Amino acid sequence: MKALESSAPLIVYVDIKSPYAFAAVRPTLALETALDMRFDWRPLTLDIPSYLGSARKSKGKLVESTRSASQWERVKYAYRDARRYVERQGYMLKGTEKIWDSSIANIGISWAMQTDRERLGAYFDAVYPPFWRRELDIENIAVVEACLEQAGIDANGFAAFAQGEGRARHDALQAQLHPSGIYGVPTYVFDGTILFGREHLPFVRWHLQGRQGPAPDIAYEIGDAESVAC
Amino acid sequence: MLTVAIDFKSPASYLALEPTLDLVGETGVAVAWLPFSVRPFSVPAAKANETVGERHRRVRAIAQRDTHLHYAAVQGLPMQFSNTLAGSEIALAALAGIEGDPVPFIRAAFSAYWSGQADLDDEAIVAALFSALHLPAPDMQSSRATLASIRARAKESGIFESPSYLIADQLFVGREHLPWIRSLTDRNANI
Repeated sequence: MKALESSAPLIVYVDIKSPYAFAAVRPTLALETALDMRFDWRPLTLDIPSYLGSARKSKGKLVESTRSASQWERVKYAYRDARRYVERQGYMLKGTEKIWDSSIANIGISWAMQTDRERLGAYFDAVYPPFWRRELDIENIAVVEACLEQAGIDANGFAAFAQGEGRARHDALQAQLHPSGIYGVPTYVFDGTILFGREHLPFVRWHLQGRQGPAPDIAYEIGDAESVAC
Repeated sequence: MLTVAIDFKSPASYLALEPTLDLVGETGVAVAWLPFSVRPFSVPAAKANETVGERHRRVRAIAQRDTHLHYAAVQGLPMQFSNTLAGSEIALAALAGIEGDPVPFIRAAFSAYWSGQADLDDEAIVAALFSALHLPAPDMQSSRATLASIRARAKESGIFESPSYLIADQLFVGREHLPWIRSLTDRNANI
């Protein structure tokens, strides 16, 4: 798999542990449905401590942190910002107590894509909202299997996939991302264009609909795009 | 009241100007333009033994630059990134000291920076902008003091980046929030 290449009209990179990806999934799925297209959803497992410092909370109290005041300012704003948009979609977003390794849940995206593509939205629904309510241990393969089953996706073989071929494919893809110019989620890729953030959905829609009329500027759309269920 | 914090050397502030003015024109919301200096935008050079974090920041900066250029083209605006970083403090101080409509100066300063790579930390260059607009330049000594107090108040309000929007006790960073900000101006208008 090449990071910038796909037979689909759009590649979408997401990470289960990203609040911004959580806010983007519903409107992106809504766009996919509205255009009657099938996007190529892929995992991007963020290495957050490498660029934003690390932190761990216990019972709501900070017990470990390597973040600067400026990094904390940005992280806190990012959570507040994602929360207000996620709440508009009817979801809850609680700040995480630690930086999770989301790779197993992200490999679940690849499993859903290859096993039962039409149930991918249901998998997102089974993982994102409970994870962001702090109800899901996404580092536990059995928990991710349960989410797949809850989404109606056969999880038989997932554990072996997550530890074998799926892990190898995941790791190989991650190694390609920085050299390809991809660093965060959600990222949208089409025709060699790489756009980070759901604020580009108006432009992505304009492109996928044949570039009619003037190109739109960035915007976090509010309204119809938010209200379509996964 | 909509408060908009901007910095002339911020590419995102530059690209936010006209969409923000469109919203102000369409809604009639009262707006206060706040000078708020941020770190100059730059793309770190690649290093031989780059850490993952250093590579992430370099890749992110390249992507941000390319995205700004992409939307500058969408908006039909000239935009040039320079390898030598020009400042903006004097122009921001001047903005703090302007009495009356600051928009002509804001437009001129952004244009000078992003199409002409003007150093807006140079008093003569900033004075020339006022002269070209046939506007009196504000007293720079008092403007600098005003800028410092504006910055302190802005930070107290939680502002840490440009462009930032403050409306109805909510802080929004970036023009992507204009749809929500518009809905707040509509709601305020209906109260």
